[in-house]
Amino acid sequence: MKRPGKNGSSSAQPNGRPSKRGRKNGAPEAPSRFYGTTLPGVKLEELSGALFVIEGTDGSGRSTQISLLTEWLESQGFAVQTMGLRRSFLVGEDIDALLAENSVTRTTLSLMYSTDFFDQLERRILPALRSGLIVLADRYIFTLIARSAVRGIGRDYLHGIYEMALRPDLTFWLNLRPEIAFDREFKKSQTISYWESGRDMSLSNDLFQSFIRYQSLIKKEFEYLSKRHGFIEVDGEGSVPEVNRVLRKRIASHLGIRSTHYQPSHALSHLWR
Amino acid sequence: MATVLPDIPAAESESAVKAPSLKREYPGALVVVEGIDGSGKSTQLYLLKRWLEIGGYRIHFTEWNSSPLVKSATRRGKQRRLLTPTTFSLLHAADFADRCERQILPLLHGGYLVLADRYIYTAFARDAARGCSPRWVRNLYSFAPIPDITFYFRAPLDVAVMRIVAGRPKLKYYEAGMDLGISLDRAESFRIFQERILANYDQMIETDNFVLMDGTVRVNKLQKLMRQILGEKIDLAQFAPKKK
Repeated sequence: MKRPGKNGSSSAQPNGRPSKRGRKNGAPEAPSRFYGTTLPGVKLEELSGALFVIEGTDGSGRSTQISLLTEWLESQGFAVQTMGLRRSFLVGEDIDALLAENSVTRTTLSLMYSTDFFDQLERRILPALRSGLIVLADRYIFTLIARSAVRGIGRDYLHGIYEMALRPDLTFWLNLRPEIAFDREFKKSQTISYWESGRDMSLSNDLFQSFIRYQSLIKKEFEYLSKRHGFIEVDGEGSVPEVNRVLRKRIASHLGIRSTHYQPSHALSHLWR
Repeated sequence: MATVLPDIPAAESESAVKAPSLKREYPGALVVVEGIDGSGKSTQLYLLKRWLEIGGYRIHFTEWNSSPLVKSATRRGKQRRLLTPTTFSLLHAADFADRCERQILPLLHGGYLVLADRYIYTAFARDAARGCSPRWVRNLYSFAPIPDITFYFRAPLDVAVMRIVAGRPKLKYYEAGMDLGISLDRAESFRIFQERILANYDQMIETDNFVLMDGTVRVNKLQKLMRQILGEKIDLAQFAPKKK
């Protein structure tokens, strides 16, 4: 298994704009594939696949990029498994129900998401990595940590829980201004979700203000996490092909794929704009 | 000791691991009973609760694993045997957090005497017996208020196991620790699992200030002692019914 060697290089800029927050010499050395304690019963040498994480707020284009990357990797002969929030068999639906209900408290919700995460990790992702698959994660522990941290749950507490998470080979952060995320989300669904605008936090009665304030708090957490965990920051305001090219380049170099050329199939061409 | 993430200052990361100090930021009090199955703890807490109820005290009784919130997930996980030591631990912590944030903490702030049948030490002892890192589990529950009294009911393994096995037609899969693959025989597996839990409890007598209670003492005698200790450690007058 390759270690993420180039993690420490400067932020990727698909549209050539200078980086606002380029990491200087960023990523700390990653000696272990886990952050702390290893999950019980896991043999690291068995994990021959690779884990790539795409982080970013709603409207940053994560799922579009994952669809495209999946097609590209498959065309290159790599088998892909995906993961994301609330997709575990164990508690995925229960979290949906909790979110709909609104009576759940912050620690419980945070721990339900942890359960959801570890259920996927242990029963789907680790087996996939043992079989040499490429795992593309649509969000990872970082979103979970950021969301809980802005609600006042201690960062040490959160890092303590996720110390048994697998360290990704590469973590991309599709960073964009909250105002742009708002425009994109509104265009897509004609409304803004209760949780994505942090309405449980009573930031503002105005939905737009609430969304902007909440996403700004999340963004600040991500800036901290980015430094700590060596994210590859990608300008999420770039076009889909521009962002995709950056992701492909980094993943290709990590997997030793020579050609990064890619043209989406007819089925996905509607995403290519 | 596992590697700590690079830039947590040492002092900070240690505090996440140590048992938090007892800060009473509330007028209420928290009394818990702990011990392996069959140690007699539930009987004793029930009798204590009855005594206080009859006396008209402001009390609330809470049990481990009683929240409807995560019940469906726990049921699904147990029925299909999907739970790993990690998800077992997390799911119970989520359940406890719900009870803690919606019952225990508000009641403590509201000046109640809260009686808990099993508390975080159940998770510490049981999850460690399943192979979770004790440090990780302690961190998981670090949001929980520290009890004013923790009564630890201790009975010899044979006595406790006999009490449980005699009263139950069939031991459940996770209850018997069958997920650990210790033994194919449920009764045997249960016994070994309880033995590990007992050893983990014993280690906490000192570190977590347990009040050791001999589970082999006659029920009424033990209850008398329990009431006496409660009266010594907690100012019961503050929970007594107001005189009109």
